[in-house]
Formats: sequence, C-alpha cells, structure tokens
Amino acid sequence: MGRHRGRAAAAAVLFAALVATACVHRAAAPQAPPERLSARPADIEGFRFVDVAAEAGLSRPFLAGRPGKDHLLDSAGAGVAFLDYDRDDRLDIYLPNAWRLDGSRIVERGRNALYRGLPDGTFEDTTDEAGVAGEGQWGAGVAAADYDGDGWTDLLVTNFGRNLLYRNRGDGRFDNVAPAAGVESPGWNTGAAFFDADADGDLDLYITAYIDCTLDEVLAAVPSLDWKGLEKVAMGPFGLEGARDRYFRQGDGRFVEATEAAGLEDKARGYGFAVRAADFDDDGDLDLYVANDSDANYLYRNEGAGRFQEIGIWSGCGLDANGAAQASMGIAVGDTAGTGSPDIFVTNFSEDFKTLYRNLGGGLFEDVSEASGVGPATYRVLSWGTALADFDSDGDLDLVIANGHIYPQIDRHPEILGTYAQRNTLLENIGGVFRDVTNRAGPGFQVVASSRGLAVGDYDNDGDLDILIGNLDLPPTLLRNDTPGGAWMTVVCEAENGGPPPIGTQVTVRAGGRTLRRDVATSDSYASSHDPRLHFGLGAAERAETVDVRWPDGRHTVLQDVASRQFLRVREAP
Amino acid sequence: MTRELVKRVVAAIGCVVGLMCLTAPARAQQHATGTPSEMVTTYESLADAILSVKKTEANLVRSILGAAYAHAQVELGRARAAIKSSDAKAGQGALEALAADVAQLASEGDNAVAAVRKRLIEGGHHHNADGEAKGIYDEGFVVVTRAAKSAFLESSRALGQMARAPKAEALEAEWQKVQATWNGLMKPAR
Repeated sequence: MGRHRGRAAAAAVLFAALVATACVHRAAAPQAPPERLSARPADIEGFRFVDVAAEAGLSRPFLAGRPGKDHLLDSAGAGVAFLDYDRDDRLDIYLPNAWRLDGSRIVERGRNALYRGLPDGTFEDTTDEAGVAGEGQWGAGVAAADYDGDGWTDLLVTNFGRNLLYRNRGDGRFDNVAPAAGVESPGWNTGAAFFDADADGDLDLYITAYIDCTLDEVLAAVPSLDWKGLEKVAMGPFGLEGARDRYFRQGDGRFVEATEAAGLEDKARGYGFAVRAADFDDDGDLDLYVANDSDANYLYRNEGAGRFQEIGIWSGCGLDANGAAQASMGIAVGDTAGTGSPDIFVTNFSEDFKTLYRNLGGGLFEDVSEASGVGPATYRVLSWGTALADFDSDGDLDLVIANGHIYPQIDRHPEILGTYAQRNTLLENIGGVFRDVTNRAGPGFQVVASSRGLAVGDYDNDGDLDILIGNLDLPPTLLRNDTPGGAWMTVVCEAENGGPPPIGTQVTVRAGGRTLRRDVATSDSYASSHDPRLHFGLGAAERAETVDVRWPDGRHTVLQDVASRQFLRVREAP
Repeated sequence: MTRELVKRVVAAIGCVVGLMCLTAPARAQQHATGTPSEMVTTYESLADAILSVKKTEANLVRSILGAAYAHAQVELGRARAAIKSSDAKAGQGALEALAADVAQLASEGDNAVAAVRKRLIEGGHHHNADGEAKGIYDEGFVVVTRAAKSAFLESSRALGQMARAPKAEALEAEWQKVQATWNGLMKPAR
C-alpha cells in the first residue's frame, strides 16, 4: 500500500458533475477517477494478486467453533461485505464473527468488525464507535443495502440466533432496529437478499435458513457421522431437519412475513445457504435463485404483483446435468458468454463439479459445466463464496472461488482427495471457456486456508477489482489486484437522493463490439455483499459507444460516447 | 395405509411380542431347543406388516405419479387447443404447466414430496436400497429409475423451451417420449 497519489484533490472532484436524468443522449465528459491508490507493476504478465490484509489492518480472526468442527455450525463460517457506509467514496469492510468453543463450553463470543477505508488504502477499526459489534450473536452472513431509502447503506447481519438490522444513522453510528422491523427471525439464518419483489418501490427481504437446531444441540455435538469408513465427523446435513427460508414484505419500514402468500414456501425444507435476486428471464422484474445444500436449488420466477412460482427443475437450473441435486453453497451471477442474459454459477462440495448454468434466454438454463471447463477445473475442491468479475478488464467475466473443506480430519488421510485448508481458485474466461490460472495468479492465490465468504470490490479505487475473503480461525484475506489489465469503466448508479445504487438497476455498456451487462444486487456469493458500483472491463476500447442504465422502475438513462478509465456517476431522475 | 394406522399396527404387534417375551422363559424351560413357535408366528405377522407398508409406499408413490401424469394430460390438451387457435399466451401457460408436471414425474413429486423423502432417508429408510447400490435408483426414489428420471428431465426442459414458440409437431414428438418413458415405468411387474 502507500502508493496513493493526489488523494485529497481527487476526493474533492471525485464524483462531481454528470448527473444524468432520464433518457439523455449526449457525449459524456470524462471524470476524474477516485483516488488511485495502487499503481500496477508493468512488468508482470497475467494475473497478479497480493494479500495485503495484514498491512491494511484487517487483523481480527474469525472464530469458528471447535478445532475438530464437531458440528456443521463450527465449519459454516460467514460472509463478508464491501460497502461504503460513510459515503466518502472509499469502500469499507464489514466482517461478521462467530464463537470459539471448547467442547460444550463457550470460550469466546466473537465480535463483528467494521473497518472504515482510509485514504492511504488501510482500514481503521470503527466497530465500537459505529455500534455494530454483533450483540454477541453467532454471525453467519451480511447483506448491505439502503433498506429504508434514506440514502445511507444499512447492514443486515444474519445469525445463528436472532438477526440484526443495523440502520445507518448517517453520522457514523448504527442502531439495531431488527426487533422493531420484524426481521429477527430466530434460527440458523444464512444468506439474505433485499429486493423489490412487488414493484412498490421499497425493498423486501428473503432470508435463507440452513438447519433447524438449538444452541444446546450445537454445544452437545460430537463427531458421529462415519465418513468414508475412516473418521467420525460432524453429523449432517442429512439426519438434521432443514429450516424454512423466510420472505418478508416491507411496508413503512416494517417487514411482515409473507412467505406463503408470495409463493416462496421452501417446500422441500432445503438446507439453504445463499440467495440472489436478478432478472433471470429479462421481463423487468426480479426473480430469486436459492442455493440449497444437498437439495435441488430453487428458481422462483416473479409472476408480478409479488407472487412467485418455483420453476427450478424444468427451467434447467435446479439439478445438475445428471439430474442430481448438489451440495450447493454459493452463487455468482453474470453473463459469461456474451449472450446478454445472466448465467448462474453455483459452488458445491468437493469431488463434484461446480456448476455453471448458461441462460438460454427467457429464464431457461442448461448445465454447461463440462463444456465450459468450469466443472473439471473445480472438481477437487470444496467451494463456498464466489464471484463472476472481470479481473483483467479484458471484457469478459472471470471466476473466483473461495475453497476450504469442512472436516479437518481429512488431513489425517492423504489417500483422500483434498485437504482442509485449500487454495482459492481463479478461472480465466477465454471466449466462454474457463481456464484455471490459479498457479499464475500471484502470491495471493497461493494462500491456503479454509475460506468461506467472498466479496469483490475496488477498495483502492484504481479501476480494477480486488477480492476480500473470510477464513475460518484466521484473519481475512484481502487480495489487491495488481494485474495489468485493459481499459475499464465503473458505473456508479446513484439513487435520486444520492444514496447507494438502487437494487435491481441494470447497466448495459456497448464498447469495442461487445455488449456487457451488470446488475446491482445486495448480496450473493456465500452470504456476502460486493461493491455495489458496477465495473466493466473494456479491453482495448478506450470509449464506450453507449452506457444504458435501466432503473428498477423501468426508466432508462442512456449516455453515448463515454470515455473509459473513469468512475461514471449516473443519478436516477426524481 | 396411513402413518397413524401403521403406528397402531406396529404398537399392537410390539405389545404381543412383549408379552411373549415375558412368558418365554417358562416355556423355554419346557422346550430347551428352538425359538418358540408363537414368537415365530408373530414375527411372521410383523414381517407381513413391514412388507405391506413397503408395498403401500410403492402404491402411494405410483398414485402421486399418476396424479401428475393425469394433470400433464390435461395441460397437454390445453396446449394442443391453444396451438390450434394460435393463442400464444395460453399456449405458453399450458406448456409451462406441462413442463412442471413432467418435472414432477422426474422427481417423484414436487418439493413437498422431496421433503418427505428426505425425512425417510434421514431415518435410514431406502425403499430401493439394492437398486441404489447398483445405480438404478437415486437415493430414496421408489418407482422412478435414474434412466426414467433423466428422460423425464430432458423432456420437461424441452417442453419449457418450447413454451415460447409452441409448435404442434414438436409438442407431439416430445409427448411421445414422455409417454414411452411413462409406459416403461408403469408396466405391470412380471
């Protein structure tokens, strides 16, 4: 770090000007990018990521139950989040934490951490002054969104226990309003998605839940599942009862459970881990994809007026190509083949393909894991958080995957494929086919840990995407992207009050003969939240022919002939 | 047989076996060799009950499949009518419903049935344990073989894709595949 330049001046002009209103057609003036904190080494070929977590001040370890991971909760880990809670145009970081156990004794209740991004690229721990330490709950996930539309990013922390909804007061402090808002929803909550399900202008909420169990059961757990005839390991998920996912409809800042009324019933009582809202069938409203561990995944198609229909199996994204339900953990969404429609990537257990479902249009999918190379490249590892992002800014979406086994006992058996701590995976997209470039992705990708949550964001505002990863029993990893890449553009979609990008906003950039599409979502990956600013790699194109912003209400803002290498701020018209 | 009824039968048999266990030592003194015939008879009855429950499970799943198939036939009729009258919206709705029904054939019921199946597996019950070991059945499946599941899944996806631009010929061709798989699955055991 410490390779910043002109930060004060740049911050002042950071996002000035260019407040585009509806359907504008004009040449857009280039804007000064936010502070560029790291210059890329020019002599490095291929990808290069460096772990800078320690020097950036991200030191708090994630507490993960017992060393032997006697219960699945011990090894579930948690999500991570990039957000900008103080609206200073620098990314901040939020990390839920769990507990440390010794047998059935609680040794330490972990404290969640809020790190404020500083101008020099390091982070300051502001947890206590912000009041977001987690109330002693066992943290599982985080969804960052402006749920109340006041222009400030709030935090929903999902827990094994009661959820927390930290409302951002706008003065650096948060209040937990979960009880009053009606979203505590006690249980083993995991992923969460804020999205406007019924097109009434406010954000509703879907929360996935994993297993129905009590703290007493967790504390009393001993490894009892016979694994490959070699070891006793943590029981489950089979043998344990799945917990129901829940959907909450918002009205006037309060959330009311409307799971059945909306048709989001989780009928299979799937072991839910992750959820992503996106317009999968391109009809203008937001659908939901839910990743279940060992059960078929769900695709809830939005039928309008806040009603959903589950179509996962016949739409082709509920099971794998062999018709089998997989042990799914995380989700990434993006157009991997330039078809204009969002594909779905799902992470799964080890000794199994991780699955890429290509969108055939209209919300129909085909498992292309084999043909795309994704499946064979990911067979060995046990995978969690993930993202589709253009890490080399060449115009297509690459794939990053956080890996780590759930059974530490595996290390006693070299005859079994895999280890407890694993390297994370980077796959480069070459014309819709993925190639494993982990070995050549720099020292950051040689780190071995049992990783879980993963979020992508440009924390140093240098125009490329960095990666934040949570690790069991260790501090997080922050992979600074030092890859020499192509031209880029980051589109910052502002709500009409200047607040964070509205969930469901879709941006299409045409540049250099390509059409690139991204959307704003609260969270996906493994219970994690990405940078809400939308990054586009433009390759050799130094200008975009058009930038088309489709706002959640269906209106468009269109800009033409836009220069690259800038943070382009576009504001929603009143 | 309902679950409650099964419980009652098993409980009654349990009581009888319990009583016999209490009286068995005295009889055993009189006849030192062999299991008392009353116990064997009772065990026979219990075996009948257990096997009957398994048979009932198979019949129930066949009924679930039958209902899905009948519903599919209704949707097929709607789809045919919609295509004939060039009603694209109705055609799409009918074809999607047909695709959903065929998907339910593939997965032996909807997600709610999957939850029941999961409970049975969790409880250690595998209706086709031998078939599962041989790779013929997916875990917990009762009637639908892996091959049939795969064929139904392929058809359900094809029907779903067809929904956007329904064509009579393609529909009939796909339905013939569904029928063939169904007939193969439902043919009476020899």
